[in-house]
Amino acid sequence: MSTRRLVAHSVQALARYRLRTCFIMVGSLVGVAALTFVVSVGQGAKRKMLTTVRQIFGESSIMIGAGGHQMMGGPRPGAARLTLDDIEAVAKALPEVELWDAQQTMSASVRRGDATATARVLGQSERSERVRGRSVSRGVYFDAGAVKRLERVALIGETVAKDLFEDEDPLDAGILIESVPFTVIGVLEPFGTDLHGMDRDNEIVVPVSTLMRRLTNVDTIAAARLLVKDPQRIEDTAREITRLLRARHALAVGQPDDFSILTPVEVQRMVGTVQRVLSLYLPLAAAVTLVVGGIVAATLMLASVNARVGEIGLRRAVGAHPQDIRLQFLVETAVTTAGGGLGGIVLGLAAGQLVATRLELGAVFSWSAVLLGLLMSGLTGLLAGVVPARRAARLLPADALR
Amino acid sequence: MIELHAISKTYTRPSGDTVHALSDLSLRIDRGEFVAIVGASGSGKSTLMNLLGLLDRPTEGRYLFDGRDVASLDVANQARFRNRYVGFIFQVFHLLPRTSALENVELPLLYSDRASTTGLGRRALEAVGLADRLYHTPSELSGGQQQRVAIARALVNEPDLLLADEPTGNLDAQSASEVMDIFDALNRSGRTVVLVTHDLAVAARARRVVRLKGGRVVADARPTEPKDALEEVQ
Repeated sequence: MSTRRLVAHSVQALARYRLRTCFIMVGSLVGVAALTFVVSVGQGAKRKMLTTVRQIFGESSIMIGAGGHQMMGGPRPGAARLTLDDIEAVAKALPEVELWDAQQTMSASVRRGDATATARVLGQSERSERVRGRSVSRGVYFDAGAVKRLERVALIGETVAKDLFEDEDPLDAGILIESVPFTVIGVLEPFGTDLHGMDRDNEIVVPVSTLMRRLTNVDTIAAARLLVKDPQRIEDTAREITRLLRARHALAVGQPDDFSILTPVEVQRMVGTVQRVLSLYLPLAAAVTLVVGGIVAATLMLASVNARVGEIGLRRAVGAHPQDIRLQFLVETAVTTAGGGLGGIVLGLAAGQLVATRLELGAVFSWSAVLLGLLMSGLTGLLAGVVPARRAARLLPADALR
Repeated sequence: MIELHAISKTYTRPSGDTVHALSDLSLRIDRGEFVAIVGASGSGKSTLMNLLGLLDRPTEGRYLFDGRDVASLDVANQARFRNRYVGFIFQVFHLLPRTSALENVELPLLYSDRASTTGLGRRALEAVGLADRLYHTPSELSGGQQQRVAIARALVNEPDLLLADEPTGNLDAQSASEVMDIFDALNRSGRTVVLVTHDLAVAARARRVVRLKGGRVVADARPTEPKDALEEVQ
């Protein structure tokens, strides 16, 4: 008996049952694909999140948001009572605060000639260049004088520049933000998308005073960011700020804060939670898919082997050794599970790449996911394909043929 | 060629009862014989067939094939023995579905240690008159044709012994007669044929008829004329 001939024969046998072979392959494919996809995207997302967090939230900043009990969301108008004076008073009272910047935002339609766009308009101070660590790539940042004089100057993001100016030079050109004329004096450094999937290049930065007076006509701010001198004492500083703001807002004991404070320590806690979701629960969900797919494949294999006990008996009758039978089913199982497993890896990675490209995540190839997927589908094949076939091969041929 | 000495086969049913399928059976079959084993169902004729082909092991007794004790061979050597010396034909054909006649016939060659197997399958199919059906799958063949494919498969390794268990049981009279013609021809060309049947018309084509009852030989006749043998055991 030639092993090579027997292997070829086994592969031919699979080809005769294309549909069944396909279903078995799909069974192990879905699980491996899900696992590969989730783990590779999850790791990419984790990495992206950490870089973004570092990008927007250094270890020495404290964020104050208007409205209580919310983190990283937009302001709630009803609860917004935070003013520029609040922040200024806090900064004055605490020498630990090195630098601060207040921010008010709005979504606005922007026009230049026939070209229109919708962008997020951020009102910030001249200090935001340092506090938020984002400067201009072309032109100049506005200065303190511009903020004081409520000047109508704007720094536009790359997306806005592209929407309104295409290839033209935007510097010194006039644009209309909600029908108010502004002059573009700079183009913001590119940022990309942030954690929420928001395009941070579709932004316009104007002096906060100009935004509050000429565009939104409010006297509250949405958020502020404070840079502290000593990152080690950041929690203490945050507590101080809370005390001062509660006093200024005349909140009684037991009343909840009408603002929220976010420190890097808190961000790390949140990131930790998200990380657990990404690196534990999502793969767990994928593993469930793997198990379900495995069970489907196992059921089909088991049914197939059971239906072929007669065939096994016949092969034994015409001279097959039990080990020939084992080899045949091993080859059949290896081809289907490896085929399904490899297909799953390719599909999972391809889907991961697709999603990663759309979300600018940069998917990570994960050997551990691939190995786990292959191991599981191999195990399925072994338990449902090879073991019952071994058992049938050990039967007396007379019993197998019955 | 075949000598069975005091063979017994006992099964234990799942219910715990023991069944004596064969008790103390002795039988001798010489090279070139054409033997029909007849008997009512439950008489042990299929068990005898399985033991002759080493598809099953006797509980007691000795089975000598060409003087060699084959019942005590290990699993690998039993497989080799079946491959080289025995060709099986079953009532339900046992052909692999979706597989061409030629590939079905060549199946025993897959497990043989012959150096060259080229053309053997084709020749075996020609011998049973199916040269024009090489690439038909079982579902494209009639029952009679399927059984002829199975006979070709039994012949492909040129075994000394052909064992047929109710080979005509699933066939119409016409096909059955054709299949028996093939057995007849094979026997005339020197092959030893043992077939199990409960159909006396089929048994009448054999040259020796052995009748079993309750796991024992109750009649054994081998006169010159097959028809007389049948009458004798009846």
